[in-house]
Amino acid sequence: MKRLLLRRLLQLPFILLAVYTLTFMLAWLIPGSPLEKSEARQPPAEVVAAMESQYRLDDPWHFYWDYLGDATGVNWLLGQRDGPIMNLGPSLRHENWNVNEILAAQLPVSMTLGLLAMLLACLIGIITGTLAAAKPGSWLDLLSLLIALIGISLPAFVTGTALLLVGGLWLDWFPVSGWGSPQHMILPAVALSLPFAAYISRLIRAGMLEQMASDHVRTLRALGLPERTILLRHCLRNAFLPVLSYLGPATAAAMTGSFVVERVFAVPGVGNHFIEAVLGKDITLIMGVVLVYSALLVIFNLVVDLLYGWLDPRIRLA
Amino acid sequence: MSRLFLPLVLLLFLLGTLVAIDDSRPRAELVIAGENEVFTLDPQRMSYLADMRLAYALYEGLLRWNTDDFSLEPAAVEEWSVEKDGRRLRFTLRSDGRWSDGSPVTAGDFAWSWMRLLLPDTAADYSNLFFSIEGAKSFWQWRQAQLQGFTADPWQNQTPRKQADAVRGLLHRFRSLSESVDRPEEIQWNVNDPVALNAERSQLESALASGDHKKIQEAIDQAAVHRALAQSLDAHESRRAEARWMWDQVEPRYQAMVGVHVEDDRTLIVNIDRPVPYFPDLLAFAPSSPVHRPTVEGWVVEPAKAKSLQEHGWQAIEAPSMEDRRNIDLSSTTGRLVQSHRWARPGSLVGNGPYQLDEWRYKRDMQLSKSPTYHDPGLAGFGTIEIRSIPDPNTAVLAFQKGEVDWLTGVAADCRIDMLKQGRLYEERHGIESLHLPGMDLPEPGPGERRNIHAIPVFGTDFFSFNCRPQLADGRSNPFAEASVRRGFALATDKESIVTNVTRLGEPVASTLVPPDAIQGYESPEGLGFDPEQARATLAEAGWRDRDGDGRLEDEEGLPFPDVELLYTTGSPRFARMAVELRDQWQRHLGVPVVLQGQDTKFFKDDLRKGNFMVARGRWYGDYGDPTTFLELCRSTDGNNDRGFSVPEVDAALEAAALEPDAEKRLRDLAQLEATLFQQEMPLLPVCQLVDVTMYDPGDITGVTHHPRLTHYLWKLRPVTEVQP
Repeated sequence: MKRLLLRRLLQLPFILLAVYTLTFMLAWLIPGSPLEKSEARQPPAEVVAAMESQYRLDDPWHFYWDYLGDATGVNWLLGQRDGPIMNLGPSLRHENWNVNEILAAQLPVSMTLGLLAMLLACLIGIITGTLAAAKPGSWLDLLSLLIALIGISLPAFVTGTALLLVGGLWLDWFPVSGWGSPQHMILPAVALSLPFAAYISRLIRAGMLEQMASDHVRTLRALGLPERTILLRHCLRNAFLPVLSYLGPATAAAMTGSFVVERVFAVPGVGNHFIEAVLGKDITLIMGVVLVYSALLVIFNLVVDLLYGWLDPRIRLA
Repeated sequence: MSRLFLPLVLLLFLLGTLVAIDDSRPRAELVIAGENEVFTLDPQRMSYLADMRLAYALYEGLLRWNTDDFSLEPAAVEEWSVEKDGRRLRFTLRSDGRWSDGSPVTAGDFAWSWMRLLLPDTAADYSNLFFSIEGAKSFWQWRQAQLQGFTADPWQNQTPRKQADAVRGLLHRFRSLSESVDRPEEIQWNVNDPVALNAERSQLESALASGDHKKIQEAIDQAAVHRALAQSLDAHESRRAEARWMWDQVEPRYQAMVGVHVEDDRTLIVNIDRPVPYFPDLLAFAPSSPVHRPTVEGWVVEPAKAKSLQEHGWQAIEAPSMEDRRNIDLSSTTGRLVQSHRWARPGSLVGNGPYQLDEWRYKRDMQLSKSPTYHDPGLAGFGTIEIRSIPDPNTAVLAFQKGEVDWLTGVAADCRIDMLKQGRLYEERHGIESLHLPGMDLPEPGPGERRNIHAIPVFGTDFFSFNCRPQLADGRSNPFAEASVRRGFALATDKESIVTNVTRLGEPVASTLVPPDAIQGYESPEGLGFDPEQARATLAEAGWRDRDGDGRLEDEEGLPFPDVELLYTTGSPRFARMAVELRDQWQRHLGVPVVLQGQDTKFFKDDLRKGNFMVARGRWYGDYGDPTTFLELCRSTDGNNDRGFSVPEVDAALEAAALEPDAEKRLRDLAQLEATLFQQEMPLLPVCQLVDVTMYDPGDITGVTHHPRLTHYLWKLRPVTEVQP
């Protein structure tokens, strides 16, 4: 267990460095300039050139190393810069903000929404999956299949808009835009949870059916345990393991925001940067969100691996 | 299962904390949502309408517009007068003008803010609008030359032109350093052999004068003393000191060179090069708003001086040293002033406008409330205003329908065309004037009608550019270089059909570039209409007719008219649909094959700059209340003349208009010029005036202007109940 933890933590910086390098190369190749404004006047070419050199946009190597030093805190340690230790730089498209501030303001929003959605997804997924597995082929099974199909195949801008119209406008239970109170969170969390719930539901169902056909369950049945106990106590617990390995990356994805859900519900989260920063070639912002996303992904996978061993003694690692 | 319980509890706890740390606010009295995110609150840096709308709330310029007819009213001034045949303006500031920190607004605030506007360091989009101030252009160029010299490196590999520029820059830098008497010691200006340096200099200068690239290259290679000197100046400390030394010259230079004079705390005098009739208009324009110097520069002031700063303004105390101005710094690589934007945040932003900034959360919302220090507390209608960020247009309409938003600007939702139809039904039944009746007199909308959507024609035009260069970018000859061909294509365009069948927002059709009725005293001429008969005749006169009866046009040698390449941007379906309609019309009426070329905005701009197109979509918004804000597009040297249109008579007419002292005659001349442009030359094909689709219920809010100039003053808005007797 300790070895695993240590190994993974040592791997983390190298993974991040690889992600950083690749993202940087791709971001640099985006055509256009982040300092260019759409449908507006341009300052004279000399001024643009001076600004580019200000933001180190005229020299990829310089940018690469400088930004790396800023983002890792090396430049701060060397005393070349004050301000925050890890500095992800100013946003090139929104000059009033720097990336640290943007992430500090928006990441908690996306994380709240993501966690809520994952909780909902687990709840819906486990209930429908278990019910479906309890009586395979019954109408309950078909119903859960239908829900899973809808969740997986309908894109969020359809389910999101439908939820807005029904819950926001017709029933008038929830506000349709903004963020801040629990009422604001319900509709986007439901919309975000649907595809995850569908996936979890199918994973649980498959796992349960496999378990119910296994030897130890037959033994339990022979011992005369009530079916409910067998299902919830013994089958579900084992069937949950594949879900757990799925939960790691899924939670990381949900917590770093969804472009579509955040856009449809006007949620001020980080999801939109994955699209808008790329379209606007806002290199610093792209680097910032990608680095945070990959760090989260690695950490959640690690947590899942640790939980795995803790839950299932069979695969407890040395 | 119990083992899962603990992580679950931890998760719930985390979730609870996250929800708790987010603070939500009560609904403001007025909630506005728009399609565009605010880019900056620094007025000198602004160029977007959404930003300027906030500038007019947070700051107060010298003048402002009466938004009914866009005549000028005094704002931060008590009175103003025009002297010396319009070449001098004298402003007397209000005595009760206050910044939101309580200090007085003085003439020096304006002079200093305009220095920011005129510095290349600020990279202001609108610097050149203010170049008619005496000395402003030379000041900009002087600083630009200084900065260019600082970064010039002729020994680097570069194109011949850039190399010549670098030599010029280096010579300029060395000259000003050698002539300086107050050069600080840190600058490593150690000339051991002044004779050799002078010899090299004259060699470089003569090489530059010859313009021969080889000679320049040779002279650079031989300039060993220059090179050694430049290298010694490259030391970090030396560069820092030099950047500082350059910057220290800026303010004295501005005061000596530029015609903005502070006579006393309340009197400001502006000299302009020549009478520019629209110059006062620029003083109501957001980029000329004043900013509070101690805030912008981040002055750290000793407590002893703070009181005097508060009572008499920043001129009353000695400015702190560069190190104690925490928001600005000088870059030792470019020499530019680097401005931190920290100051433009709630809590630190100091303005002199009717509103103050309480909250600004990135891509979330902005909160304004009435400024307690503003001189006219009754001016602003709503006590608190929220500007909410709703990126999705359909969600924005839902939020409006639910009453979460009171005023939706720039409606881009898919359903707007249907809603506009309902709006038109209401207007037809009750007359458009009824929308301007205050409040409760307003008739309720019947079934299938609505009164909360408005399409307001604005100060902008959609058009298609003809490439007017003799050759296309790939070397082919360009049929559109002929004015008669451009006229023919314009005559074959049924704009009415584009507006009613394609764009469908009720845009007024445009035959000229300047939107009609937007500028006082300007009579828009008539351009060419739709006449396919005459279109074919015009082309035939130019030598293009169907000679062999195959339905295609050929020239005298029998060569067919080349496929017309129609370039548009793919970002919005509007332009694709317009391009398709245009293709169909030209093919139908002229028998010319048209090829559509959709292009992403970035590549599109690049193509435009390089002239790599035959016909391309275009759009222009005017900035100030004068026809030249549009017509300058047709000047051959204008930076936005994408068409490569170059007619000496047009340039001469623009120049003559600039010098014409008689304002009425000037406008007549400009109308004459516009008539020539759009009856004869046709560098671009105007399609329609743009409209702004906006949603608000005139039964709730009054004060939204429907004037094409599209400047909304947030303080002008009022709840209807307040207006009722």
